[in-house]
Amino acid sequence: MTFEELAGEPRYGAHARTALTLTACAATTALATPLRDHLDLANIVMLFLLTVLFVAVKLGRNAAILASVVSVLCFDVFFVPPRLSLVVSNVQYVVTFAVMLVTALTTTHFTAVLRQRAEEAGRRERRTQALYDLAKRLAGAISVDHVLAATREFLQSQLAAAPVLLLPDKHGDTVIASTPADEVQVEIHVAQVAFEGTAFVRGSDVGGPGRHTTYFPLRGSTRNRGVLAVAFAEGDGEPSAASLSLLDALASLVAVALERLHYADVARSVEMRMLTERLRSSILSALSHDLRTPLTAMVGLADSLTLIKPPLPPAALDVSQALHQQAVRLTGLVGNLLDMARLNAGNVTLRREWQPLEEVVGASIKMLGEALADHPVKVHLDRSLPLVAFDAVLMERVLCNLLENAAKYAPAHSAIELHGKREGDVVAVSVMDHGPGFAATGRESLFDMFVRGVHETASPGTGLGLAICKAIVEAHGGTIEADNRPEGGGVVRFTLPVGNPPIVEDESA
Amino acid sequence: MTTRARVLVVEDERQIRRFVRVAVEEEDCDVAEAACVEAALLEASASRPDLVILDLGLPDGDGVDLIRDLRAWSDVPVLILSARSQEDDKIEALDAGADDYLTKPFGVGELRARVRALLRRHVGREGGPSPVVEFGRVVVDLTRRLVTRDGEAVHVTPIEYRLLSILLTHPGKVLTQRNLLREVWGPARVESTHYLRVYVGHLRQKLEDDPAQPRHLLTETGVGYRFQP
Repeated sequence: MTFEELAGEPRYGAHARTALTLTACAATTALATPLRDHLDLANIVMLFLLTVLFVAVKLGRNAAILASVVSVLCFDVFFVPPRLSLVVSNVQYVVTFAVMLVTALTTTHFTAVLRQRAEEAGRRERRTQALYDLAKRLAGAISVDHVLAATREFLQSQLAAAPVLLLPDKHGDTVIASTPADEVQVEIHVAQVAFEGTAFVRGSDVGGPGRHTTYFPLRGSTRNRGVLAVAFAEGDGEPSAASLSLLDALASLVAVALERLHYADVARSVEMRMLTERLRSSILSALSHDLRTPLTAMVGLADSLTLIKPPLPPAALDVSQALHQQAVRLTGLVGNLLDMARLNAGNVTLRREWQPLEEVVGASIKMLGEALADHPVKVHLDRSLPLVAFDAVLMERVLCNLLENAAKYAPAHSAIELHGKREGDVVAVSVMDHGPGFAATGRESLFDMFVRGVHETASPGTGLGLAICKAIVEAHGGTIEADNRPEGGGVVRFTLPVGNPPIVEDESA
Repeated sequence: MTTRARVLVVEDERQIRRFVRVAVEEEDCDVAEAACVEAALLEASASRPDLVILDLGLPDGDGVDLIRDLRAWSDVPVLILSARSQEDDKIEALDAGADDYLTKPFGVGELRARVRALLRRHVGREGGPSPVVEFGRVVVDLTRRLVTRDGEAVHVTPIEYRLLSILLTHPGKVLTQRNLLREVWGPARVESTHYLRVYVGHLRQKLEDDPAQPRHLLTETGVGYRFQP
């Protein structure tokens, strides 16, 4: 006998069961009547008890109780003298009835318990098997759609319920339905509550008449991965404890699957980004090499004209010097463009190291050399300046650009001042000149690419210098702004966050 | 009587070789040229140059490998020409044994100055390093471990002195941060660049006229330091 047959229930309705029970009792009575004269009444009782047992096994507890009572009545009416009456001639039959009824009911009870256990075990086994199958399918799922399809099939077969998967939006803090929710009305605010919590939340009944939707948070290892809304079919009422624990297991499986998909996505995009980055930087460095090689030759060849023996006439030397200057300028422009391309590509890798500002200031001034010949630089750095974490090469770029700009617009022999001091959480560096200052309008856009100040139109430049400064300073988490000094002259001020400078111990000696 | 110094120029770009040759010949040197690593090694072992000027981006191999090969049997000064702006390549070349670098593009004047300095040091080296080094208003007596400025003794701590003496015994040479950290603090501290920077800052405070615009203890940004006599 298979379990399905043992369970029996789904095959007959309540009325059919009653009818079958009564038929069984009638059949037993009919069968036993001709044997009345040959069998003891005790054996007839046995036949009825067998019938009750059979009914209990086949038709369940209620039918068996009915069979017990009907059997006792049939036995009384058709077999115990006087026949065809409920009256009993001998009082000892009352004992027979009592024992018969008790035996029948006890049989009914134990059979029913046994059936129930078998049924439960069977259901558990089927669910375990279904969960196992689901886990296998989810492990192989390569998209959210696969996960949803597997979940839908599982719920359909196990609980006759329908799922909706709600996933976080791109900011990760609110959930949105990932599937068209035509079959299930989702209450997004309830889903949100479930998403932010750790336990399931029951929806209110507004989701649809007779529908019960329950929202299970999909708990991943670090955060909730979404919400699984499960709508039960009409008329099923509240989900049972067993269903809830099944749904809990389902929710963890789905969460694990989504988490796996998430990390697979992350790994893929990181790899993609690395490849793009590598490609971009190799293109840039190839471009940089290819552009700089002829420029190097131009700068050097123009320069070497001055060494030719016998010396060139002065006019030719003038031309060679002009050639040299233009080649140097072109080199600067190309360098700026390449730098901007590198910075603009985003993801600049900063080589931040803790260092004193003084050092990079000195290096920048030395690097500019001749360009600052007409402009003495006065450096005022507070003695108490902390070490700051920055990329020295890029910061040198910032300072060179600012100092060069200042030198370009300030009148000859006027000093350029460079101040550095701590202001709360930042170190502020200002480069000040005695030039005409910045025009009152469009000061913010000075730091945009290819934008040039009003005073600049007459002098050479691409308008990239300040944009490069801005990109570098902002990559360091700082700010940059241009202003005019009350006493005249422009000032560009930038800040760098102080952070937590490491301590350099003094020597014990 | 002095013989003319021999300079080997290793560079694959013909036009760059051409003006480098003109500039170097102006310094009274004989110039040999090579366009690839293989030719450079042959030429170097045959002519025993007094200076090698080397482009890092050679077509048939890395210039850094050439430096390592060269260093196996020669202490000839090596001047790097680097078209790449990446500091890593320069650091690698310097750690492999190169003495100095020029970033492309560079002027003839700059090139001649470097060539002069490297040749002078190479010749001067034969007498061993001088025990007394003078720069600016500072005199350092390396045998007596004595530092004076304007004739007055300057107190330097043991670490400062070690750092100073390493810089002074390699005049003009670019010493990488790693190199200095290893020499002064030991191999465990090669990543602690802020120590190096802070101590160089101390030395500048004590020995430079304007510590913010040093003239002798120079920073090669992103690479290391150089003592300029």
